[in-house]
Amino acid sequence: MPEWLEWFTHMENTKPFALVLFFVTFVGIILYIFTGKKRAERLESYKNIPFDDDDEHRRDEDSEK
Amino acid sequence: MKHETIETNAGWLIVLTMIVISIGGLVEIIPLYFINNTVETVKVDGKETIRPYTALELRGRDIYMREGCYLCHSQMIRPFRDEDMRYGHYSLAAESQYDHPFQWGSKRTGPDLARVGGKYSNAWHFQHLMNPRSVVPESIMPNYPWLKEPLDYADIKDRMRALKAVGVPYSETSEEYQANVERFGKDVADQLNILKARENLIAQAGSGNYDGNPEDISEADALIAYLQVLGTMVDFSKFEEGYFAEFR
Amino acid sequence: MAHTTAQPAQYNYAIVRNFTIMALVWGVLGMTAGLYIASELAWPFLNFDIPQITFGRLRPVHTTLVIFGFGGSALFATSYYVVQRTCQTRLWGDSLASFTFWGWQAAVALAAISYMAGYTQAREYAEMTWPIDILIAVVWVAYLLIYVMTLRNRSQPHIYVANWFYIAFILATAILHIFNNLAMPVSLFSLSSYSLQSGVQDAMTQWWYGHNAVGFFLTAAFLGMMYYFVPKQVGRPVYSYRLSIIHFWALIFLYMWVGAHHLHWTALPDWTSTLAATFSILLLMPSWGGMINGIMTLSGAWDKLRTDPIIRFLVVALSFYGMSTFEGPLMSLKSVNALSHYTDWTVGHVHSGALGWVAMISFGSLYHLVPRLWDTRMWSTSLIYLHFWLATIGIVLYISAMWVAGIGQGLLLRAFDDYGNLAYTFIETVQFLHQPYVVRALGGLFFVSGIVIMGFNVYMTIRQGRREQAALQAKLA
Repeated sequence: MPEWLEWFTHMENTKPFALVLFFVTFVGIILYIFTGKKRAERLESYKNIPFDDDDEHRRDEDSEK
Repeated sequence: MKHETIETNAGWLIVLTMIVISIGGLVEIIPLYFINNTVETVKVDGKETIRPYTALELRGRDIYMREGCYLCHSQMIRPFRDEDMRYGHYSLAAESQYDHPFQWGSKRTGPDLARVGGKYSNAWHFQHLMNPRSVVPESIMPNYPWLKEPLDYADIKDRMRALKAVGVPYSETSEEYQANVERFGKDVADQLNILKARENLIAQAGSGNYDGNPEDISEADALIAYLQVLGTMVDFSKFEEGYFAEFR
Repeated sequence: MAHTTAQPAQYNYAIVRNFTIMALVWGVLGMTAGLYIASELAWPFLNFDIPQITFGRLRPVHTTLVIFGFGGSALFATSYYVVQRTCQTRLWGDSLASFTFWGWQAAVALAAISYMAGYTQAREYAEMTWPIDILIAVVWVAYLLIYVMTLRNRSQPHIYVANWFYIAFILATAILHIFNNLAMPVSLFSLSSYSLQSGVQDAMTQWWYGHNAVGFFLTAAFLGMMYYFVPKQVGRPVYSYRLSIIHFWALIFLYMWVGAHHLHWTALPDWTSTLAATFSILLLMPSWGGMINGIMTLSGAWDKLRTDPIIRFLVVALSFYGMSTFEGPLMSLKSVNALSHYTDWTVGHVHSGALGWVAMISFGSLYHLVPRLWDTRMWSTSLIYLHFWLATIGIVLYISAMWVAGIGQGLLLRAFDDYGNLAYTFIETVQFLHQPYVVRALGGLFFVSGIVIMGFNVYMTIRQGRREQAALQAKLA
């Protein structure tokens, strides 16, 4: 096995390994979510789903305002 | 893979969520079984001094759980100066190794009980259980007059067998008994014998005379027998200073 | 109630109505039990030497009724409503859904009765005996199946974020419930059992369960509630959908690590509790991500605060969520925990989350839901205002009293005199607790009065809805 791979076999290295792994995943998700104008538009468009369904008359609020 | 794949596919959402929520628990629980230092070795002259509960103590522990004592009393002394002075040596993991379930507790509305054993007399405990304010006027603990009722120990063997099934070394066969003699010594091994559970229970309640009434076996007998053994199984004078610290 | 016909027939509202009513019933009972045990601590004669109502037996009744009875029923009601409305499809499996209703109510009722009779597993927040645990597991699998099948039937390609939180809550609760409750029954006909694990491993498993019951049952699921009902009530979409994606994954990942912060300085190995403390600090970020997303959704609609009492409930809920998710990481620091653990500070912290966040967001959501379910308007708006003030004052009294009690007792217990001896005996610190305990009970009284008023208001609303329905049908006929 190449020498650099042996680093992973040492138990005491699990902490930095896990840290790097989790952090890279996290940064990856952040970059994916917050880059690209089109992707942003698409993702943000989903927030209107609760309002796609407004077949009700909501008279309780309307009459109060 | 796009995040859209997860957003639009319930299967992916479930699988990924399962993976993400499993990691933390696995990393923290599994090693506790495999790291040897997690539970201390406590041996004097080659014998383990921390033993499973006797039949009577076990029923006492059942009553402790039934009444919800763990909701106001912890059984876990932390390594602080004030707790050391108030309660005694900090608790070892080994001391609750036969506790199914653990009774460390999370709140001290009353004091810690991890080392209450031997601190007060049987008579004090009985009086305190019947009416706490008669011995500690400012106490807010409820009275437990119904603990004078006779103890039900009809299913004591089933209870010990259930505990044996989850790993507590109670014995049924002669090999298991011999192994216990090796491990704990003969006196303890006799108490751990499931076949003699009823006789042992009756004998301990009679000789211990926990509730001041040798005639009957009450729930108070069992509960006080349990309280009196708490924290007494390790004789810290037999171990070198710093021995237990190595496990932490 | 099954014969209200004006509802859109494509949705199963009957099941949502049933769970809504039971949430309020369990809420009133469970919070009353809480008020009673709080009073027992202030005035111990209230135990009356009756085994069934002593503190030790009634306390699990309180926690079970409020968490699983009130919280659980509110979650069933809102999740069944939200999944139908955001997937625009009818809930899958009508009869299985009513099985989840009856099964869940039976489990909660049987649990409460059995604790009072002295049958318990003595595992905090999981005291139910093994047959009830099995019933819960079966109900939960049915719940998961219904939820997933409804998601699969959706007419909307995207799964709305509220549903992710509900799904994570259902999955996590299943795992936690099953692994925490593994036990060996004494016999087939005995309610007693002994847990599979013991001592330190059992402690870790129990608090992995205990803290994630908070994390998933009382947080993730109620965030699901927040992500639907806050936008609907304010009439504005959620502030940032991308923020919700990030904080969802971060939250469900991080929560599972933090349980061991309940075991600082115990016989649990140091590496485990240190790891838990580290993740507890990190958890502040996704928690506040959710809080900020909710608060920012409300901003720009602040004028509605003056006219809409429901929005007040939602704002206060989010504020308390932010407050207690800050207090939590603080208390998970080992040095702070050394003082706070075993004291009433923890009890106060739990209630700032449970009353401030869980109950307030549920009240807001249910006030939104009730008029829609019974096709009418709330019977009285002034009673909603009254409920809001009673609840808010009650929480503030409760938490302040517990800060005084917890921090005070913690300091007294570690005080030394000039000679290095302990300055106070334990019982002296108990005496000190009397006044805070009285104030806490008073806070509880305020809060209970609030939910009783809500129950009355909802009862009158349902009656009004039925009357209007009958009038409408008479006109048509």
